[in-house]
Amino acid sequence: MPEPSEDLTLLETIDHLLDRGVVISGEAVISIGDVDLLYLGLNIVLANVDAIVRTSRK
Amino acid sequence: MKLVIIGAHLHREDVEPPAVAVAAGDLRLSGIEVADDQPLGDRDLLLRVAKTRAALLDRATFIAIRYGFTVRDGDTSKVAPFIERWRQLLIEHRDDVEMTLKIAAPAPRPRPDRRDFTSGADYLRALQAANAEVPPAFRDAAEARIPCLARRWTARDNASVEMAALVRRADVAAVFEAGAALERDFPDVPFLLSGPWPLEVFADVDQ
Repeated sequence: MPEPSEDLTLLETIDHLLDRGVVISGEAVISIGDVDLLYLGLNIVLANVDAIVRTSRK
Repeated sequence: MKLVIIGAHLHREDVEPPAVAVAAGDLRLSGIEVADDQPLGDRDLLLRVAKTRAALLDRATFIAIRYGFTVRDGDTSKVAPFIERWRQLLIEHRDDVEMTLKIAAPAPRPRPDRRDFTSGADYLRALQAANAEVPPAFRDAAEARIPCLARRWTARDNASVEMAALVRRADVAAVFEAGAALERDFPDVPFLLSGPWPLEVFADVDQ
């Protein structure tokens, strides 16, 4: 199958970084100023699904 | 300084610069060294960690630790309860990686509104019911064609479903070939096959 674009690969990598892997207890709260990384992660997932749909339609 | 931890590795030589290794029992944790006051929400740091994570996987399979865990002064006591289990997994799956098949729901279901529920349990049930579903024929074909040692399906949200597959490194090319066949046979199912990834889903001790 065609290789995903570099942007999509990076997006997917960041999605995995933020949303996969072992969670070490007591270290789950990450927020900087008004930006919560959990929220950032959600945005990335949503963008990713959108990207999947767009890629599939090409 | 603090280390933003990336993963747990079987051998010291599995960790290469720019990642730094710190001992955790018999294992080594990899991490990126940053200033104590460096915010973890920094975009450049996130990208650095993501790229280093990918480079480390090229070297050897490791247990992925979710972004956000930091170590100061070599204190790895928080991971002590995991060490023996991780060591077994790393030995058992030295030559394996994970692949992810993410499928976007053809028609995402509307997410329930919390304000419509008086019971938290009912709301959780409604959330579960709103999860996306994979067309059964696609699911069967994916399971039949993707060569793997184990698989786990997860409804990520109401818009996507994911299959994590534990595969031999030697089979990664065959997995992508299976993805190409799925793409040909199911042109209307939007999906993304990605990987290889470190042990993420299959490293979870609770599963």
